Amino acid sequence: MACSKRRAFGVGVCKCSFRFLIILLSVRTFADAQQDTTSEADSARIKELERQVEPGPNVQPPQSVPRTSPSLNPDISAIGDFRSSYASEGSRRIEVYFNELEMQVASVVDPYARAEFLFSFGKDLDTGELGIELEVATLTSLSLPYQLQATIGKFKPQFTKVNPLHPHYFSFVDFPAMVNNFFDGEGMFMEGASISWLVPNPFEYFQELVFEIGRVGSEPNASLVQGIDNRLLYVGHLKNFFDLTDEATLELGMGGLSGPNQLGFSTLMGGLDITYKWKPLRFNTYSSFTWQTEGLLSRVRLLDTDVVQTWGGYSFVEYQVEKRWFIGGRCDYSEFPGIEGAHDRAGTLLLRFQPTEFQILALQVQYTDRSYDSDFAQVILRAVFGIGKHGAHTY
Amino acid sequence: MKTRTMLGGLSTALVIAACTSVTLAAGKLNIVTTLPDLKSIADAVGGERVETFAIATGYQNPHFVDPKPSYVLRLSKADIFVTVGLDLETGWVPPLLNSARNARIIMGGEGYTDASANVPLLQVPSNVTRAEGDIHVYGNPHYWLDPANGKIIAQNIYQTLVRLDREGEAYYGENLRRFNEKVDRKLEEWTAAMGPLKGSRIIAYHNEWPYFEQRFGLQIVDFLEPKPGIPPTPSQLAKVITEMKRDRITVIITSPYFTTDSAELVARNVGGKVVTLATSVGAEEHLRTYFDLFDYNVMMMTEALK
Repeated sequence: MACSKRRAFGVGVCKCSFRFLIILLSVRTFADAQQDTTSEADSARIKELERQVEPGPNVQPPQSVPRTSPSLNPDISAIGDFRSSYASEGSRRIEVYFNELEMQVASVVDPYARAEFLFSFGKDLDTGELGIELEVATLTSLSLPYQLQATIGKFKPQFTKVNPLHPHYFSFVDFPAMVNNFFDGEGMFMEGASISWLVPNPFEYFQELVFEIGRVGSEPNASLVQGIDNRLLYVGHLKNFFDLTDEATLELGMGGLSGPNQLGFSTLMGGLDITYKWKPLRFNTYSSFTWQTEGLLSRVRLLDTDVVQTWGGYSFVEYQVEKRWFIGGRCDYSEFPGIEGAHDRAGTLLLRFQPTEFQILALQVQYTDRSYDSDFAQVILRAVFGIGKHGAHTY
Repeated sequence: MKTRTMLGGLSTALVIAACTSVTLAAGKLNIVTTLPDLKSIADAVGGERVETFAIATGYQNPHFVDPKPSYVLRLSKADIFVTVGLDLETGWVPPLLNSARNARIIMGGEGYTDASANVPLLQVPSNVTRAEGDIHVYGNPHYWLDPANGKIIAQNIYQTLVRLDREGEAYYGENLRRFNEKVDRKLEEWTAAMGPLKGSRIIAYHNEWPYFEQRFGLQIVDFLEPKPGIPPTPSQLAKVITEMKRDRITVIITSPYFTTDSAELVARNVGGKVVTLATSVGAEEHLRTYFDLFDYNVMMMTEALK
């Protein structure tokens, strides 16, 4: 599960982390107090402006003063992910647990860049230990020439459509089996540099080429490790986006990566993704439809002459029934990196209720057919809730 | 070897990019606005010297617009970006600007234009909590629905245009003067038409009309949404029905992007009517300018309340 990578972190680290959390919240409280004071000053200014603007045909308002946050504090948000599940096998079939607290701190650094830090506090289901992990720490340029944008730090690489997402933003409770089997429950992280380029083209459609170089994040995943020599992880992705109509879009992506695996050899992977989205313009908060499908191919070198090729993929649809209700279904098929003859096949149904954009309640039913073990079924109930100012996600 | 190949490919790509410069509209400033109302005003002030594009349509809920990559492409080529501000577009503008790779139009850039600057704001909260629903910490952001604020928006756009295009100062100044004169002239006309309705009590679906309400002396006594952004609940609808019957209120105003089921249910119960006003230019096909917007809304209100 997602928490397995947190086993190495101890309680001492946790205490430090919570102290840090308290400091952050204190800063936020101070900022709020400042804001109240500013609101009063603002009201006085508004009254003054009202006097100037109200009458007369040729009023010239004074110099523009943007209405923005008076504070230099970064945007801070906390997102909780609580789960309860029932599995058809195992000695402990019912689980009730707080899966993760995701804390984000983000801000513009200066006119040239913005920064984002994302901490994940979670409990390991096997050991019960609470751990903290720095999942994202990035500096991203805002003003490079030639339509370029660069990011350095720790981030989720742009390989596959779903990997760059954080779990709370994905439609379903869990990531597809493909991501879980080939990487980790929460996908793959890397430390390094990323550069993306808006590719000019005569058809004036959005085409973005991304190239990333670095090492896999501090914890290895099923396909890749940091390595003990100078071989690095290389990731590339090309995203093509088309507006089919004002209400429908199509995205086609392809990507590849190369990096060291646990046996000291290389793993090569390639992926294709296609996403169709529909949302009416007029009643854009009441209904929507998404169909997303992708697959990846993995070639793992185990020995000088032994290469194992396996693959995985998924396809899902999601339909917004009403303003706050969504239903979805997903089919998964995934083999494992470097292992022949083993696979998972899964079918998933989803019911999601979103009272507001700050809260999600989801019920997911999943049946998994495993070629290497008995089949099992799982029901998961998840509540995701966020406070603070969390940056909006990309499309 | 593999590394060399990949780096070689990247270098080639960069060279191609360097050779393919982005072409701006010939000799014209490229303006991207969030809402069509801002586009209409930018057209009026910028005239022949600008090309404009609005991201949202007039019948789309401006709080919830998808930040499509195609808009990133538009913004990457923009000289000026005009936003309503006040966190109205907080759910979709930041990811667009962060991906646009265009320092001119991000906050602090010379082409960034916050249209709300100097607008006298209404409903600035003294206490900020999401327990009150989707409130806006800087004040109600639907200020363009007071035509007098249109002049302030025009002034803000004018200042940016002059900053980026000194040669056009006189041209923009003349356009601004004409726009302001027309607003004043039309405002007299609209005020006269709405005069008999002053003090009329109405119900609104969402709290987005305080500027329109104040300008024309209407009195919005309650909303179908129990709190901003929270869909109507049975108890709220029952409360509104009681209020409408008690106070003999007959009109519910709503917006093009809200379904009218709950409004019509209430209207049926009180013998009232539902009036869908235009929240933006383009809400109806024939509403092509900022002035059409108010012509339409004034006509709809006078019809409904006569």
